[in-house]
Amino acid sequence: MSVKGQSRRQGVIRLLLMGLPWSLRPAQAQRMNSGQLLSFEAMVQPLVKGAPLRAQDVRLHAPILAENGSLVPVQVQVNSPMTAQEHVTHVHLLSQRNPVTQMAVFELGPWNGRAEISTRVRLAGTQELVALARLSNGEFRYARMEIIVTESACVDAS
Amino acid sequence: MSIARVQWPDRIAAGEVVKVRLLIQHPMDTGYLQDLTGKLVPRNVIRQLTCTLGGQEVLRVQPSSGIAANPFFEFHLRAMQTADFRAEWTDDRGVQGVLTQTMAVA
Amino acid sequence: MNTPRTDAGRRHFLKVSSSATAGLSLGFFVPERASAADVPQLNVWVEIEPNDTIVIRYARAEMGQGSMTSAPMIIAEELDADWKKVRVEYATAHDNLRTKRAYGDMAAVGSRTIRNSQAYLRQAGATARHMLVAAAAQQWGVPASECNASLSKVTHTASKRSLSYGQLATAAAKLQAPKEVALKDPKDWTLIGKPIARVDIPDIVVGKTKYGIDTQLPGMLHAAVAACPVFNGKVKTMDASKVENRRGIVKVLNLGEFVAVVADNWWRAKEALREVAIDWDVGEHGTLSSATIMAHFKAGMEQTELAVARNDGNAPEALGKAAKVVEADYFTPYLAHATMEPMVCTAWLQGDKLEVWSSSQNPEATLAVGAATAGVPQPNVKVYPVQLGGGLGRKSPQDFTRQAVMIAKAMAGKPVKMLWTREEEIQHGLYRPASLMRFKAGLDASGKLDALHIRVSAPSILATLLKLPLPKGVDGQAVASFNDHPYDIPHTLVDYAQRNTNVPVGFWRSVGHSQNPYGRECFIDELAQAAGKDPLAFRLEMLPNTEKSKRDRSILEAVTKAAGWGSKLPAGVFRGVAETEGYGSWTACVCEVSVNAKNEVKIHRVVIGIDPGYAVNPDNIVAQFQGSVVHGLTAIFWGENTLKEGRVEQSNFHDYRMMRLNEMPKVEVVIAPTGGFWGGVGEPAQAPLAPALVNAISAALGKRIRSLPLKNHGLSLARVQGPTA
Repeated sequence: MSVKGQSRRQGVIRLLLMGLPWSLRPAQAQRMNSGQLLSFEAMVQPLVKGAPLRAQDVRLHAPILAENGSLVPVQVQVNSPMTAQEHVTHVHLLSQRNPVTQMAVFELGPWNGRAEISTRVRLAGTQELVALARLSNGEFRYARMEIIVTESACVDAS
Repeated sequence: MSIARVQWPDRIAAGEVVKVRLLIQHPMDTGYLQDLTGKLVPRNVIRQLTCTLGGQEVLRVQPSSGIAANPFFEFHLRAMQTADFRAEWTDDRGVQGVLTQTMAVA
Repeated sequence: MNTPRTDAGRRHFLKVSSSATAGLSLGFFVPERASAADVPQLNVWVEIEPNDTIVIRYARAEMGQGSMTSAPMIIAEELDADWKKVRVEYATAHDNLRTKRAYGDMAAVGSRTIRNSQAYLRQAGATARHMLVAAAAQQWGVPASECNASLSKVTHTASKRSLSYGQLATAAAKLQAPKEVALKDPKDWTLIGKPIARVDIPDIVVGKTKYGIDTQLPGMLHAAVAACPVFNGKVKTMDASKVENRRGIVKVLNLGEFVAVVADNWWRAKEALREVAIDWDVGEHGTLSSATIMAHFKAGMEQTELAVARNDGNAPEALGKAAKVVEADYFTPYLAHATMEPMVCTAWLQGDKLEVWSSSQNPEATLAVGAATAGVPQPNVKVYPVQLGGGLGRKSPQDFTRQAVMIAKAMAGKPVKMLWTREEEIQHGLYRPASLMRFKAGLDASGKLDALHIRVSAPSILATLLKLPLPKGVDGQAVASFNDHPYDIPHTLVDYAQRNTNVPVGFWRSVGHSQNPYGRECFIDELAQAAGKDPLAFRLEMLPNTEKSKRDRSILEAVTKAAGWGSKLPAGVFRGVAETEGYGSWTACVCEVSVNAKNEVKIHRVVIGIDPGYAVNPDNIVAQFQGSVVHGLTAIFWGENTLKEGRVEQSNFHDYRMMRLNEMPKVEVVIAPTGGFWGGVGEPAQAPLAPALVNAISAALGKRIRSLPLKNHGLSLARVQGPTA
């Protein structure tokens, strides 16, 4: 992935360098005839808009293998005291290749006591999922994982 | 008109953080599938879901076609005293759903 | 010899070492040896036994396509292994899950095992070789650069000392895998490109191979199943009183969508099933027929809302101004796969542990479906690989696995082998979609093709089987070879009317390429005729030597040259040609036929060729192409599944005929690899065969043939051997 060196995006640069280059991963989701795979940047930047972004404090649980894409359980946990001073305000679930990138956004606050949500999503083929949390201080945290939709193997490649 | 169910533990102590499970019956039609006659089934998904407890907002969700049919949501809230839990949602057709249930807190 | 074994007995202790994070990204784990008896593992793909035997893992399914040999060849090449010492073993889906997918994708679909895995397989071989060389260098106290690896030996060039891989493996396995290794230049390949004998063939010929259907387990029960003959129907009532107390019958199950009879042997189960009285609820689908389906497709042609797959220039306008307009409708039917081995799956649920032996092209899907159906966690599922008696795309979906696991759940504690009858397989297929294609072209005054409008009215596999959203409503499979045609034409419009029916559709070998090139290349011949031009010259004019069409051009030239296009043919013998691209490879075909007064088609020659970029195993390519010709001619002459009262009319090989040995023509395969890319081989051959053959037959008859199969036009395939040949 290409990396631009603007100072206000240092956090992003650090993360991109730590990220695994997709071309080397045997389990990469490949180009599908009926859906383009977005880059990580394209998925998050419209929401992050250059604010600090770190790959920490967020745990994303989902099965590595999903039987089909119709019903995939997803759980997101964000490590946060959930006080008035320090809490999670939003949890975004983002899809790499669905027609609609933001699958859902949850608005939370100190009243939740715990920043932990679960739901069931639809996946249009093997792809990466990103759980993106916005904190009350304006910073973002995320976790990402690849989910293999085993049924769509026939088309999950050029 | 969709039906919904909400669940939380039977015994809740004041100040405890409880897990709430909400299941709403709704087809969440994506708008991408066709029926057998070749006509596109128009998109109809729940756009907005708001949950309150004792009148105060405890959760707001904006789902999309990426949320599976019969949407299921699990979240947490801090229960201070017995209060009415209320979930309200609206879909693309403008159909609204409401579910209320009293949360008993010891 | 190099017979593959399943993994049931071997234990792998794969552990992620904290220092191997870079190796993580390549899926290579530094193994931790549990005991001295364990075989040194250089990475998840390569183990080396002390006696120099190299175990190379194969991570996809083997269904006769031969990649169980070609994929390990790629590893062995970079490993510099002595192929005679290589033994191939399967990797399992459960190992893949446990190691967070160290083996990557395991599906044998889309003709992409080689092209999608070659990069990391080469890496695996090269990495292991690097470690072996490093171990030898360390032992000798010399720089690794002075050592050379070849044929399972590392040699120190200067001192002529050498050590075998078997001797080095233990030390090598302890070394850290290098983060980057140089791969061989293709010109230095010694194994890739050679016609290596397939590792599984001797056993197949002598009948030793264990296919899914051969699975035997102690105390195993057998299940015969029947689903509703009308698709998507359900069991209304079931009366098994006549058979449930019969000798050997263990249980009769009503599982909603199907009925299963479980017995101590399969014959008893199958015979008893015939006498179970089942009342089916067919819903509104009981009136579906081939006629109503055709009407549905024709209505699609007149649809006003269409999905546009390609729009160059302004085809409708150009067609309005064309000097000559040619129009034609082409039709191809539904096709069942008819894999030699019908659907079969053995499942054993013990408590919350599930074991599955499934003839499946997608073992990970088998694992996920097995777990979900049995209601057990995925780590509790073991999927044992077996050889498939044919896959052809039918055994990638898991409908039959689901059935077997449902039965196993009902018979909890006992292993059950579920096997479909041939009738069940033909009548409960995931059919190659039938398709109506409309072509309209405009030629200019000089006979040059100026505008082309292709409309497809057909079901969508992606939308119905996989429930995938289609970007802009286009199913790429339905318009394959139309939306990406290589011809240099100013105006092209390709649009698509999605017309699903109650007939379930799926991936039949080469999918949209099994039908669309037939329409396209036959229509191109119609245009050549209208323009008064030779079919080859007409095509070459539209395939300039540019990046976009140079490979279409070069394979067309290679195959027509091998066929002697343009040379004089004996009286009554005619030629046809076709070219297409798919699955990353370019293919072309020339057929020579004669048709006698009884409308018997004698195929004198089939010259069929491919440019797959790199040809990994030429002998296997020839085998794949010969097999594709058998499969293709079968479909072209007789293949169709028709519907009446919601049911498929055909049921077995008496009415879904297969080719016979004495009908098989000689097939000449042209392998013309231009290098620089990796193309698929399993499916591409189907594409140009039908149009080349039909073009030749059309030339012989002096009339066009716009629908398949040929039997519907009164044509039959002449014997080429035997008394009347």
